[in-house]
Amino acid sequence: MKGLIKKDLLNLSSYKTSLLITIIFCSIAIAGTENASIAPMIICAIIGMISLSTFNYDEVSKSEKYILSLPVNRKELVISKYIIAISSAIIGAIIGVLLTILIVNIMNSVRPNNLIDLDYDNLFITSLSGLFGIALIQAIQIPSIYKWGAEKGRIQMFILIFFMVLIIVGASFLITKLGLNLDIQKINNFLETFGAYILTLLIIIMYTISYKVSYKIFIKKDY
Amino acid sequence: MKNVLELNGVSKKYPGFELNNISFTIPKGIITGLIGENGAGKTTTIKAILNIIKTEGTIKVFDKDNKKYEKEIKKDLGVVLDDSFLSDYLTAKGVNSIMKEFYENWDEKKYFNYLKEFKLPLNKLIKDFSSGMKMKIKIAAAISHNPKALILDEPTSGLDPIVRNEILDIFRKYIEEDEERSILISSHITTDLEHLSDYIIFIHEGKIIFNLQTDDLLENYGVIKCDENDFKIIKKEDYIRYKKEKYHYEVLVKDKNYIKKTYNFNTVDKPSIDEIMLFYVKGEK
Repeated sequence: MKGLIKKDLLNLSSYKTSLLITIIFCSIAIAGTENASIAPMIICAIIGMISLSTFNYDEVSKSEKYILSLPVNRKELVISKYIIAISSAIIGAIIGVLLTILIVNIMNSVRPNNLIDLDYDNLFITSLSGLFGIALIQAIQIPSIYKWGAEKGRIQMFILIFFMVLIIVGASFLITKLGLNLDIQKINNFLETFGAYILTLLIIIMYTISYKVSYKIFIKKDY
Repeated sequence: MKNVLELNGVSKKYPGFELNNISFTIPKGIITGLIGENGAGKTTTIKAILNIIKTEGTIKVFDKDNKKYEKEIKKDLGVVLDDSFLSDYLTAKGVNSIMKEFYENWDEKKYFNYLKEFKLPLNKLIKDFSSGMKMKIKIAAAISHNPKALILDEPTSGLDPIVRNEILDIFRKYIEEDEERSILISSHITTDLEHLSDYIIFIHEGKIIFNLQTDDLLENYGVIKCDENDFKIIKKEDYIRYKKEKYHYEVLVKDKNYIKKTYNFNTVDKPSIDEIMLFYVKGEK
């Protein structure tokens, strides 16, 4: 397992520059917009998506066949991919939070007359929302890649996301059309109290279902 | 452990191709060459042994079921696949740091000695290596944990004769280090196997055509060129296959000395493995 993770990390090390550029871009964006919720979302999404390119590396080098000839089983191979994907999303969110705190503190020390009030609760919930977004994409994309390959899997994923958006838009259209009277305030209160728990639970459920589907596909696959 | 490898009734169906009831054994300390044209079923057989594809039949490696004891078996195997490796975007140094996580008995010193011997750069990406260099790093990675057996799929394919010879020397050295070691090597370049392998298994259209000792093939087999009258006097049980050419017959025989004595043929040519393969595929009985 350690070998598999090491292989993927070494493959991903070529993204060092992209990551640095993202961090610089986010720092400028935080300073310019004084928006504390940008960085965790952007960095989490970018690192989370970059982590999936390990599948492209494997496809280009046809390495799955070779890896299966090493002392490793298929379960470990799938688990290692999820470890990389999940931890990269979490690390992305953490980097984003730390960057936001750092930039805001620097700005506050430079401009003591124009302090930015950093809302830690808001920062936490936006980071978790970013994590939820990337978890949703990863949870759909990883099984798609196992089923159709890295290139085709991406197209299938976009089709899936398109249909999901269509369903959400359709549902909200129906709610408006049917004249259902939703108490937005009540919903907001509910989300403020339980939002973090719900998001965390949904993230865990999505990854668990996604892993089970991926494993089922991969165990039957011939190389 | 008597046999390193034991295949029994191994079958696999693909659209347009079928690996049909393959059975053979490889004893300890033996080099076995798996020959056949492209698409004959050599790689499919190797993938079946490594449990990369699902097959029917039973496969035992080191006397253990290859599915049940997959991880345990693979600790003692070294594998080289023609078209697949860890990643093209790694360096030789990176390969070392990954492989030592897979094998408890990974010999780092040995690996770096091989890199030195093969003149492979440490910090260059594998994708920028030549074909020969790529194959050499695959071999270094396959033998640096001192495996009990090597499984090699087309390790000399697409390489020039000098590099091919260098690579065959590596395998000879590997066997010389410990005579209990075994190799299964597939190739469509039969000349590579003539001087390396102890046994040759010929696979054609997913079926094993023969599994014979290389010495027997090269020393005892013979080809007679004769006219129709001479051909007619040869008993059916004394030849393996014949080919009818425009003006003469070519006959493959199993024991050239016996044929010389019995039928008074002065010249019985020594066939190459390629010629023997052709007789089996194109010849008649």
